[in-house]
Amino acid sequence: MAAIFHLDHPAHYVHWHFFEMSVPNVVAIVAMLVLFLLAIVLPVPGADRRRRGSSS
Amino acid sequence: MSTAPTPQAPGPGSQAGGAVRPWTDRQPEAAGAPLLRERLVPARQPTYVASWTYAFGVLASAALIVALASGAILSFKGPAWWHVTRVGHFFNSIHLWAVELFFVLMVLHLWAKYWTAAWRGGRSRVWIIGAISFLVSLPTAMTGYLSQQNFDAQWLATQAKNGLNSIGAGAFFNVTDFGQMYSYHVLLLPLALVLMVAAHVLLVRRHGLVPPFELEARMGGSASPPSTPPAVERAHRSRP
Repeated sequence: MAAIFHLDHPAHYVHWHFFEMSVPNVVAIVAMLVLFLLAIVLPVPGADRRRRGSSS
Repeated sequence: MSTAPTPQAPGPGSQAGGAVRPWTDRQPEAAGAPLLRERLVPARQPTYVASWTYAFGVLASAALIVALASGAILSFKGPAWWHVTRVGHFFNSIHLWAVELFFVLMVLHLWAKYWTAAWRGGRSRVWIIGAISFLVSLPTAMTGYLSQQNFDAQWLATQAKNGLNSIGAGAFFNVTDFGQMYSYHVLLLPLALVLMVAAHVLLVRRHGLVPPFELEARMGGSASPPSTPPAVERAHRSRP
């Protein structure tokens, strides 16, 4: 990763009014939110077939 | 202790009349055996479990196992090995990223359980022990940062020392003492965390996964899972 991204410097910060957070932390939190939303909306493969099987 | 055979319900691999039964089903009815057989490794789950949000807990457990295994290798080789060898770097990275994933997945698991009110149906102990596990995992990870044996660890230790001194706890937790923090990190806190997580998982297996709100309403307001074994159901009903 260090060969791809230049990491040998202090982190950049996002500053907006009272909100201040390092870019790596913002990226991690946004990635978690996206993952959570995907987990809610994406169907599990075969779930519909199992539901139909259990209802019949 | 009774040695008399106790009749059991036929298991998945049994035949009518009980002639053939797998050895995993031949357990005494003492001390939690019904829980082990019917609940610990269930072959089937309710259909509402077919959602990715139910996967975060088990994925967090998997990340914890990887963190424990890589941490055991690191502690076996000593607290400087990961600085001087390629293999040490590799296992140090495995350990770091397993812990990062553990926290990400644990927080996602927490979100999913919070928004579905997973403490319903007599599951308050499951929720509380999970929350305590989360709190125990924080110092477990923090003492890991203090055990790195580098300038980062020294910086974090002095910052934490100032913070702990300011609240009067500096005499009890000397974060600049590497030996104390290392023993916390590799033994005391992981032991506490594993015990808490084990209790959490066993309670989840004991009570079953919480059903969605809609299903609970259709079940007449009961959040007990449809697949609750009769013995567990009786135990629920017998409560005041």
